[in-house]
Amino acid sequence: MAKQDKDATFVGDSRVSAKRIPNISPSYSDFPGKTEPFWPNFLLKEWMVAAVCLVGFLILTVSHPSPLTDKANPNDTSFLPLPDWYFLFLYQLLKYPWAAGDWVVIGIIGIPGIAFGALMLAPWLDTGKERRPSKRPVATGLMLTALVAIFYLTWTANDQANHLKHKSGGEGGGGTPPAAAAPAPADSSFKADAVWKAQASCMGCHGGNMEGGMGPNLQKIGSELDATQIADIIKNGKGAMPPKLIKDDAEIQKLAEYLASLK
Amino acid sequence: MGDKREISRRTFLNYALMGTGGFLAAGMITPMLRFAVDPLLQGHAGGDMVAVGSPDDFGPDPKRVEFKVHTKDGWYESETTLSAWIRKLEDGTILALSPICKHLGCTVDWNTSPDFPNEYFCPCHMGRYAINGEHILGTPPTASLDEYETEIKDGKLYLGAVKANPRAGVSG
Amino acid sequence: MMQKMYDWVDERLNITPMWRDLADHEVPEHVNPAHHFSAFVYCFGGLTFFITVIQILSGMFLTMYYVPDIINAYESVKYLQNEVAFGSIVRAMHHWGASLVIVMMFLHTLRVFFTGAYKKPRELNWVVGVLIFFVMLGLGFTGYLLPWDNTAYFATKVGLQIADSVPFIGPYAKMLLTGGEIVGAQTLTRFFAIHVFFLPAGLFALLAAHFVMIRSQGISGPL
Repeated sequence: MAKQDKDATFVGDSRVSAKRIPNISPSYSDFPGKTEPFWPNFLLKEWMVAAVCLVGFLILTVSHPSPLTDKANPNDTSFLPLPDWYFLFLYQLLKYPWAAGDWVVIGIIGIPGIAFGALMLAPWLDTGKERRPSKRPVATGLMLTALVAIFYLTWTANDQANHLKHKSGGEGGGGTPPAAAAPAPADSSFKADAVWKAQASCMGCHGGNMEGGMGPNLQKIGSELDATQIADIIKNGKGAMPPKLIKDDAEIQKLAEYLASLK
Repeated sequence: MGDKREISRRTFLNYALMGTGGFLAAGMITPMLRFAVDPLLQGHAGGDMVAVGSPDDFGPDPKRVEFKVHTKDGWYESETTLSAWIRKLEDGTILALSPICKHLGCTVDWNTSPDFPNEYFCPCHMGRYAINGEHILGTPPTASLDEYETEIKDGKLYLGAVKANPRAGVSG
Repeated sequence: MMQKMYDWVDERLNITPMWRDLADHEVPEHVNPAHHFSAFVYCFGGLTFFITVIQILSGMFLTMYYVPDIINAYESVKYLQNEVAFGSIVRAMHHWGASLVIVMMFLHTLRVFFTGAYKKPRELNWVVGVLIFFVMLGLGFTGYLLPWDNTAYFATKVGLQIADSVPFIGPYAKMLLTGGEIVGAQTLTRFFAIHVFFLPAGLFALLAAHFVMIRSQGISGPL
């Protein structure tokens, strides 16, 4: 039983004290120096900061809708896999030969494990009374090193990803806009014409009956593009598709007209 | 004496409380835990082997076969069409290569480029592979074509899971 | 009227002491950006909480349309983004908020670290804070898969591959997260459950502990 003052009185048979504490804010003169009460003075300032941030955030959400790439397709091996940006440093670390392959334990457990373990145990590793960063050079130095490493790794990972994306024709990665139309489901009864069957390089990616594979399904491409647009894509490539796979213009024209007729 | 009995009685009640609490927690959590780890204990489906014909159908020249595999993902089942380039090696064993280019995943074809006869050729970025899937150094791919696990049973050739090709790259 | 209602509740629950403790606690000068502009670094914790609130609310509303199923997940996200009024804003709030919460938490961690605020007697609060950091990263990882687009799918595959290469427990952890042999239907439902129920439950408990400790220990003094 909690000790209670013998003379204490309660509300009814409850444990609530009958003695009312007046709900009065203390005078500002009771706050020493430049301290101030949390409510309402300080909270108002915090909320003003929050309001500024919220306005910026809302502008961001309106001006940058969140990206949505094509529906997940496990067979789309041309897609460049990339984790969300805040995992990039770990992803990049694992690319280095001394942190991958036989040494992957270092890359996964060793370095991140020690770093995050030390972060968590910081109060017991840095037990001195001193709080100024300049007075505890080891802690400050290690943290600054970690920061530099994280920024460097993230930046390098992003740089390499952009480079790869550029090389493979801009497909993949996080920033691609949503596709105009979902890929048509493959129609297994569809049979492609001999014009198509003659083009081994097309079949390699779009499939023997245009059902799609690495490249999109083309069985109803005529409803989206006309012959001129198709011929242009065949000549110049698009996304991951390389240009000039067919050299003969007449052949391109014939194929494009056939494809445009598929609706 | 009396003092000691007091403590031991309290200790006993504490143990009883902890025991009952442990039982309550275990009784609640055990079924849920088993429920959650089920996929771990279900074991491998064994990677269904798919028959693609008789081993005698294949000679030293690669031949393309298509086969369907049934994938089961919980309640979601689907059919996927895969293809393989199959040839008989000099020692009589069967080599089944996956036609997925190791560069960016286009589909390679055997002997289609007039400039590079008797090679696997990827039209996307001119990747090339020798007859046993060895990637040709200096072309974009950095690994040899994957191969399927093969098994001959009752005179039929079965293909299984894809595994890495141990053959190193060769210079073209 | 309000006063009457307050008195009525106060008579029964004696809420005044709690309320006065919260409202009147002294905020020292050195954390007040009105006195020293550089004190804005003390705002990062509050902003992290503010964005967390945005995340919780926007997430709750997103589940009104979202379906965690490999056939419909993508379609439902596409629908809520393109067809529902303000859908693109609500989804953008959740999407960009996820990044922003990591940024704010990172800055808050650095502030606490460089002001040495984790030292005795605040060790436990620091540990709870680091745990919150991990939970947030887990929320980011599991939430990233949910739209079931290519970005999501392949990022998760990479992430699970990383988990897989942890010695001994890695393959089991991966299997437990994947819920099967492949990243598919069962992975999506698992990630959904973890993202929407398990991790938020842990987050709430940790946040409560974090705030209770801040209140009972007070803000660390000036350097």
